[in-house]
Amino acid sequence: MSNTLIKLENIEKVFYTEDVETHALSNITLTINKGEYVSISGPSGCGKSTLLSLLGLLDTSTNGHYQLANHDVSDISKKERARIRNMEIGFIFQSFNLISDLDVEENVDLPLTYRKDLSKEERKIMVKNALDKVDMGHRANHFPSQLSGGQQQRVAVARAIAGNPSMILADEPTGNLDSKNAAAVMALLAKLHAEGATICMVTHDPRSAEQAERTIEILDGQVVADHVKAPATKIATAVA
Amino acid sequence: MIIQDFKYALRLLAKKPGFTALTTLVMAAGIGLSVYMFSFFNTVLYKDLPFENGDSIITISGSQNGTKTESKVNILDYEAIEKSIKGLSEFGAYYNQSVNVAGRDGARRYNGVFAQENIFEITRTKPLLGREFTTAETLTGAELVVVISYDLWQNQLGGDAKVLDQNIQINSESYRVIGVMPQGYFFPNVAQLWLPLKNNLNELTREQSVSVRGIAHINSGVSLEEIDTQLSVIMTRIAVQYPETNTGIGAYATTIPGSGAGNGQGVIYSMHIVAVFILVLASINVGNLLLSRAIERGKETAIRVALGAPRSRLISQMLWESIIICCFGGVIGLLVAAWGLEISEAITATFFIDPPAFWWKFGLDAYTIKLFLAIVVGTILVTGLLPAWKNSGGDFNAVLRDGTRGALGKKAGRLNKLLVISEIFISMAVLIAASVMVYAAYKQSNYDIGANTDNTLTARVILSESDYDTDEKKVQFSQQLKSRLENGLGVESVMLASALPGDYALKTSIAIEGKEYTQNKNTSFPKVNYISIMPEALAKLGVELKQGRYFNNTDHGLDKSSVLVSESFVKANFVDESPIGKRLRVTNNDEVKWLSIIGVVENTIQGNRETKGLPTIFRPFTQLPRNQISIAIKMKADQSVVTNTLRKTLQSIDPQLPSFKIETYEQSNERYTAPILFISKLISLFGLAAAFLAASGIYGVMSNTINQRTQEIGIKRALGADEDIITKEYLMTGFKQLLWGGIPGILAGTGMGFAMSQTFGTGNFSLIIIAVTTTVFIGAIVMYATYAPTQKALQLEPSDALHYE
Repeated sequence: MSNTLIKLENIEKVFYTEDVETHALSNITLTINKGEYVSISGPSGCGKSTLLSLLGLLDTSTNGHYQLANHDVSDISKKERARIRNMEIGFIFQSFNLISDLDVEENVDLPLTYRKDLSKEERKIMVKNALDKVDMGHRANHFPSQLSGGQQQRVAVARAIAGNPSMILADEPTGNLDSKNAAAVMALLAKLHAEGATICMVTHDPRSAEQAERTIEILDGQVVADHVKAPATKIATAVA
Repeated sequence: MIIQDFKYALRLLAKKPGFTALTTLVMAAGIGLSVYMFSFFNTVLYKDLPFENGDSIITISGSQNGTKTESKVNILDYEAIEKSIKGLSEFGAYYNQSVNVAGRDGARRYNGVFAQENIFEITRTKPLLGREFTTAETLTGAELVVVISYDLWQNQLGGDAKVLDQNIQINSESYRVIGVMPQGYFFPNVAQLWLPLKNNLNELTREQSVSVRGIAHINSGVSLEEIDTQLSVIMTRIAVQYPETNTGIGAYATTIPGSGAGNGQGVIYSMHIVAVFILVLASINVGNLLLSRAIERGKETAIRVALGAPRSRLISQMLWESIIICCFGGVIGLLVAAWGLEISEAITATFFIDPPAFWWKFGLDAYTIKLFLAIVVGTILVTGLLPAWKNSGGDFNAVLRDGTRGALGKKAGRLNKLLVISEIFISMAVLIAASVMVYAAYKQSNYDIGANTDNTLTARVILSESDYDTDEKKVQFSQQLKSRLENGLGVESVMLASALPGDYALKTSIAIEGKEYTQNKNTSFPKVNYISIMPEALAKLGVELKQGRYFNNTDHGLDKSSVLVSESFVKANFVDESPIGKRLRVTNNDEVKWLSIIGVVENTIQGNRETKGLPTIFRPFTQLPRNQISIAIKMKADQSVVTNTLRKTLQSIDPQLPSFKIETYEQSNERYTAPILFISKLISLFGLAAAFLAASGIYGVMSNTINQRTQEIGIKRALGADEDIITKEYLMTGFKQLLWGGIPGILAGTGMGFAMSQTFGTGNFSLIIIAVTTTVFIGAIVMYATYAPTQKALQLEPSDALHYE
């Protein structure tokens, strides 16, 4: 069985605005294996967030092929894309994107409610496990506005992992946090990775990028560097 | 500082001219429509009469079995009321009667008022020339005197300066003019001349005495309800004493303008509620638009707060926008309302052949201006305070930190829901009420009155008691009139009756031979319209024969006693048996004369379309002649030719006899439905405004809400919700709001609709149909208003939705 989780071939993303064509991504070809911790970095506007949106099926590419777990997902229906996002992908956003009308427990439960195969009890257990993993179980009935930024992002992480997705996509997860809270969230990601999660993180913060075992650098919509670190560094960083 | 804020608000409004124009127009519509409605009804029903102490003048009318019938009260009952009641002073009494006044160029008919001597004193008005009546002049046998109106003096008597002490012929009797009232004086309603009411009370029995309308001043601090309570006690006491004449008879007090409302009070209240609802709807819409602007500027406000702006300053800054919009919109609305009132004066004048009541002067009076100012202040508070308070009182730090992007704040979300629910509630209520009214008007104007009205000219004449003092004379006149007219130019056929189908007819109670009735005349004997008609006229008018035969030559003769009845009469009185040959008698007079039913004709409607159920009985005019004669002429020439023929013919028979109300049969009928048609047009305008304001408002709030939730939709989609899930979720939210607003809306609307259907007799089934249709209509609007913006938000890729600002 192949270990490849993501396979991109000649991916292009062009934005058309009136007379201008903007090539956000051109000719991206890369492979990400299961269990990898990948950081995608580059300067602002280089296309890293666009790449993450394509990986997360939040957007479609203009050209090229995308295989997720050996299935071509470049040309599937919106409904199928939604199903895959729900089952296979967990998102962590820079601005947390919790829903303010829902409390912590309901926020984490939200993606699970879109699954028809889960009973209420099963969902409850999954939510509890996820919250325990990020150490937010004691805040289950709080609303987002009652939490600090770091706590909100931990809830967002819990929401991302609650459904046991194949991979976690994080878009600048520490961008809105102070250094202490940022470190805590990064440690959480490292821990999840250590437990076997595939993580794909967009960041422009070199320190955060350092934590990943593989670093992809993007410039002007193209991959300009793709480094894999020695395993020892990775573990040392995680422990630190 | 204030000027600075004002300038800032102006700059903001100028920056978005579309927004400014829209909000101003919505406010203009809301304020204009409600000011108009309130002012209109105030002028018709609630205005104080324009006399000194005019605010305390009330009138006492009669009711029957609790229904305010606007009828007159027996003068002996009125005397008893006068003696017992507390809280009223300066009692007067009058009744209206059309009179013929002979002049230099022929006789004309005028609205006469037979009144007690203090009628002018009650209005604190002195005659322009001459004097008022004296008590002596109200006694039987006293000299005949008259006080005339300014118009009569000018038009009929050429404004002769020596008019006083001149004699004029009224109903063929000579009256001495003792006074001329000032210009514009028509008290109590449309009077053109005033004659003493002869009332030698001691000499009268209840059956013989006249019926009058009471007038009095109500003492300050006493309410109409208190007077009504006393009236009820007094009238009950009289009924116990005189069950034969008074059972079921009551009396009630109203202001003179207010007496026009009768039992239509429910409709009038409903119209006022509708007006308030429109105003609320407009305010909600503008409030919502301002609120969404305030939310857009949330960051700006938070920065201001962070920089130390006090809350009061922020509120005042935001209020200025409302002040400008409401004032500017209000002035536009007021101008439109003024224009509407001016048009209404012209339209309402067509309801009557006579001029309308003298206080019907529509326009921007003091009441309207005061109301307008109150409404403007109210709308400023509703539209401005809410967004200002909402946006200045929030946690500015949270706004600046903004931790939960993509989601609506809980309070803002709740407020939006409340707005939508209110809009649904109001539009539902207004639309149901408006639809019932429109349906009632449609039904009334399409009722079959029972006669063919095509190409027919109608007119009235009233025979004076002095010249036509015997039945023979009346019969002779009618036969002469008919035969001469039929030979006249342009006349195809002539029909004479005491009342034509469609017109008000004399009402009487009857008894059928062999049936038992309890003693109380007013409750047990069936009421009917009682019409005298020339024998062949029914067939010519197209009133179809259903059983038996029409009147014919064998029915001529004052000693004969044949009667035709309507189908509704048969239905009410003869179950499973033929009415032909059965006998009935009229119970209103002492003479017992049994009348044989010779035939059954189709139903006719007499007078108010609401009373269409009342059966009718017909007698040949040659058996039972009357003083009031309605003439219908089938025309074979132009209307002016036939009118001329009619005038000349009458002149040739009796120069003292004027014809009046000369108009086509269709015009005459339209007068009965003109008021309801007018009101229904008015309320349908309100209904349209409500539908438009509600539809645009609901769509505005919904799309605003969903627009603000675009990021939330993006998050949910990122988490795996597909389009169907999102669509269903939002449609369900819309549906819940529909239920929250719709159920009370249906209840309020059917409540008002029920009040209207009670007055206009439209029936409960149609009310249900209207309620269901309205629910479907508003439901469709709500669902569309939810569906369309949701789909728009779903068109964005989730990645774009997540970054939507």
